[in-house]
Amino acid sequence: MNAIRFQRVSKIYRRSHLGRTTETAGLVELDLDVPKGEVFGLLGLNGSGKTTAIKLLMGLHLPTKGEVETLGRRAPDIEVLAKIGYAPEAAYLNRTLTGRENLRLFAALSGIPRAEREARAADMLEKVGLGKAMDKRLSEYSKGMLQRASLAQALVHDPELVILDEPVTGLDPLAIKEVRALILWLKGKGKTVLFSSHDISEVERVCDRIGILSGGRLVKVIKQDEWRGKPDYLEAAFAAAVTRTDGVGPIRME
Amino acid sequence: MKTIPAVFAYTFKEHVRHKAWLSSALFGLVLLAGSLVVSALAQDERARLMLDLGLAAIEAISLIGVVFLTVNLILQEVESRAIYLILTHPVKRSDYLLGRFLGTLSAVAVSMAGMAVMHAVLLGLYGGAAPGRYLAALACVLGKTAVMGALSLLLSLALTSEAAAMAFAVFLWLLGHFSSEMRFLADRSGSSLLNTTIVAFSHAAPDFARFNYRDFWHQPAPPAEWLMWTAIYVFAYTGACLALSVQLFEQKEF
Repeated sequence: MNAIRFQRVSKIYRRSHLGRTTETAGLVELDLDVPKGEVFGLLGLNGSGKTTAIKLLMGLHLPTKGEVETLGRRAPDIEVLAKIGYAPEAAYLNRTLTGRENLRLFAALSGIPRAEREARAADMLEKVGLGKAMDKRLSEYSKGMLQRASLAQALVHDPELVILDEPVTGLDPLAIKEVRALILWLKGKGKTVLFSSHDISEVERVCDRIGILSGGRLVKVIKQDEWRGKPDYLEAAFAAAVTRTDGVGPIRME
Repeated sequence: MKTIPAVFAYTFKEHVRHKAWLSSALFGLVLLAGSLVVSALAQDERARLMLDLGLAAIEAISLIGVVFLTVNLILQEVESRAIYLILTHPVKRSDYLLGRFLGTLSAVAVSMAGMAVMHAVLLGLYGGAAPGRYLAALACVLGKTAVMGALSLLLSLALTSEAAAMAFAVFLWLLGHFSSEMRFLADRSGSSLLNTTIVAFSHAAPDFARFNYRDFWHQPAPPAEWLMWTAIYVFAYTGACLALSVQLFEQKEF
């Protein structure tokens, strides 16, 4: 069974200003199946459609065309959302609450019984290394601590499917190593993980398959067998597959 | 409906910890102290002046507070993107909106209760007021606050600009005090278009004449029937604004 399914999904952003409407394609005819238990990486440049794909899965966007399914149900499905953990590219948590209060909130929203919330929140904060800071307000957290709290909220309800939007962006090397270990631990527990990244080396270390997005299109899907034992294979495949669509030229210092 | 208490609790906590809320309580103290000074100028009417000035101050502060808080309620969560994490959990958008609104209204009501206690202590020292009338006056202020809060929330979702929503809320608040005068003007106008426009505005704006507890100031307490119709009006107007807000909010993408 597929944990994620995109069926000919397109997302067009329409913006109107002073009577003029402009259209931008966020995703174009995306077809993708991610089976349960797989770690799938979405690789692409800025504006390639990675975050759009994730927002469609989470119900923050609705597709202009096509169908999106998560855990066998058309997205967004309220019951299915209880089985998905999502960490966005930055920790968009409520800064006026403490780490513990934030996790209790997300445990409550995920339908965890009241009697279990406290224990689950404290346990998860301990697991992500925030045991000593759990009663501090998030406004006092560093960037690294916020990222850990964001991961903790994604996992507090023991989800079947974990979606991480650029989880290693802006982290120090030690934290990157820990996130990598976390993804492999989730895989070991049979969870499905979808994550987006710019970082080819991170993706190739943990993924079973990767999909390369360029200009909103899925231009290539590569299995682990194809890159295993072949250094630079992914980098070359990525460079050959993508085209810059953001109007930015290459850096040349001559 | 299960997630409303969780959303309510974090919203309430957020407002209680907000410095703007504390400053409004301080402002209340200053105004109450001011009413003491003004009442000292009129020895004969001291108790009545203190009563009127105190209630007017409580009403003004509560209305300013609720308009400011509800206009920013959703827009700030969208701007900080904290809404991403809430809505990607199994939370119905209607439940989220209702929880946020009730949490805000409760925070304002607690602030109002604090001011009322201070005011009642001052009144107790200088002659006092009939508790039945005083409580009815506070209930009317709370009713106005609920109506203005729901209207401001609707305006913030319709206009998506804090400044525009606040300006419109103030405009409708002013119109709300002149509903019967507007209908009188509409009857006198020669143009049917003008008549329809004025009547439409007079119905869209809340009818604050219904909350005029001063009409019963000479009685021990307002009649139960009047209180009942005022309560029905509050629930109907607030409910209609919230229903329209939910309609708008359901269509939003983040």
